Amino acid sequence: MISFNLQMKRSEFRLDATGEFGSGITAVFGPSGAGKSSLLDCLAGSVRPDSGYVQMDKTTWYSSLDKVWVTPENRRVGTVYQDGALFPHLDVKSNIEFGWKLIPEHKRQLDPLELADFMGLSNLMSRGPSTLSGGERQRVAIARSLATMPRLLLLDEPLASLDTARRGSILNYLKRVHAEFDIPMIYVSHSISEVVAISSSAMMLEAGKVVGFDHPTALLPYASKSETIDKFENIFDGVIGSSTDYLTKVEVNGVEISTGRQSKCMGERVMVSLGANQIILAAERPENISARNIIKGKVVETWSNLGKVFVHVDAGPKFIVELTENALKDLGILIGCDVFLVFKSSSVAVFDT
Amino acid sequence: MYDIPIVALSLQVAFVATGLTLPIGLITAWLLVRKNFRGKFLLDVFVSLPLALPPVVVGYVLLWLVGTQGWVGQISHGLFGSTVAFTWFAAVLASSVVSFPLVVRSFTVALAGVDPKLEVAAKGLGAGSLRTFLTVTLPLAQRGVIAGVLLGFVRALSEFGATIIVAGNIPGRTQTVPTAIFTRISSGDTNSAWRLALVSLVLGVIALAVHNWLLNRPRSFDSSGLDRSDGPPS
Repeated sequence: MISFNLQMKRSEFRLDATGEFGSGITAVFGPSGAGKSSLLDCLAGSVRPDSGYVQMDKTTWYSSLDKVWVTPENRRVGTVYQDGALFPHLDVKSNIEFGWKLIPEHKRQLDPLELADFMGLSNLMSRGPSTLSGGERQRVAIARSLATMPRLLLLDEPLASLDTARRGSILNYLKRVHAEFDIPMIYVSHSISEVVAISSSAMMLEAGKVVGFDHPTALLPYASKSETIDKFENIFDGVIGSSTDYLTKVEVNGVEISTGRQSKCMGERVMVSLGANQIILAAERPENISARNIIKGKVVETWSNLGKVFVHVDAGPKFIVELTENALKDLGILIGCDVFLVFKSSSVAVFDT
Repeated sequence: MYDIPIVALSLQVAFVATGLTLPIGLITAWLLVRKNFRGKFLLDVFVSLPLALPPVVVGYVLLWLVGTQGWVGQISHGLFGSTVAFTWFAAVLASSVVSFPLVVRSFTVALAGVDPKLEVAAKGLGAGSLRTFLTVTLPLAQRGVIAGVLLGFVRALSEFGATIIVAGNIPGRTQTVPTAIFTRISSGDTNSAWRLALVSLVLGVIALAVHNWLLNRPRSFDSSGLDRSDGPPS
């Protein structure tokens, strides 16, 4: 568990944040300039705040009161940056082994080669970073951090420089990493969809202040206010099912979702994404409708803010649907109601994992 | 063949001077590029000062420092019973001080070109400041550092003004190629003066050619874009 209380002033910007993050994946999100990266820098120790404290489990990393300061190289905090920050003069293997080699031999817990295999990098080991794709670079950066068995893994917008198709893949790797290594992670992003897809709790920052700290979906209404935060996308893991001439079905958590025709084999694992504002809610099963997806579910929760409503529907996979306040009233949707999710197959995007 | 000891001494002086300016120059450049401290501006000015002064003045100040009146001279006199004035090491000092600004300038540019984020990443992986410098910063700044070293070496080889004041022009002891040329020109010995001038020319051309080649050579890790010629895409 990491707990912190930080105050820092840098010319016009002021950071004042307090929080306590558990062993899961915690997201820190907010618009650009909100202080997300500054918060990470303070936790990693690359920036020294003006006052406050940082406490990791029972170790104090920083305390202005007791004049404690642990240097970044002694904190064992792994950081994965937006562009990977790989060492350009070293090949993939040497990058992964950089921190691992600094650990005394009897304390090394992981085999870098197995780690590379786990991250799907085995056949890239002798390549230079400049020859890698964005997704490959991020995987090397993650493996490089993991090799040092960090006490905490910080992910600073790790998907921001990737195209949409590669994002799902890295998200999946991160989930697997968390399941396998049980390292607390802090995931910084300005995309609420990523935050909901990966984290178990989320802190929202705005202008250097904490404006919310809750279950990620509960922060959706706040996020929807901010123009710099991406529109919400539902992101699911799925498996390719049967195809017809024009449609391919993807099975997601017991539900079949129709998508445009995919050139993938049956059984292949994919990620699907679907905008929260692309889904129509119906109180009864619609008849004679062109939309190919009609999925029955139960309303779990609703949140509203400034005329926008987010409805959480459990249909096997948990969907977030964005409505207006009026639509919600007219439909008479209550928590526990059965509803039908209606969306076009063309609204669903399918990505490789 | 009585030129050989002169050339040898010149090379010796230039090598030792380069050996001195390399570590001190690296530390100075690192301070100037990566650290913020009070008096940074003064350090910057002080480092560049020999560039702005006539070398004769630099030599005169050095002579005063290492002579029996100066504090450096008093320390060395107390320790070794003599000062370094008018020894070959005085020539090393003169060459070092005069070439120092050039060396530091090259190093500063080289270090500033290294993304600080990579250093932060190295520290996050457990590397201390020195190791980060040696395994990340220096290899990435390598080209500019080597170029700076060569530039300093060339400048040390050609040093005249400060050297003749603080080390003198004693044949067989402190006479370097430039001071020897000066003596020969003064005494009208033009043939042998030209011979040494030619030696200077050759040494200078070689060092500058290597310097320029290093700066223009593409680095292996600079290859841009997604060159995916080997290995399957994933």
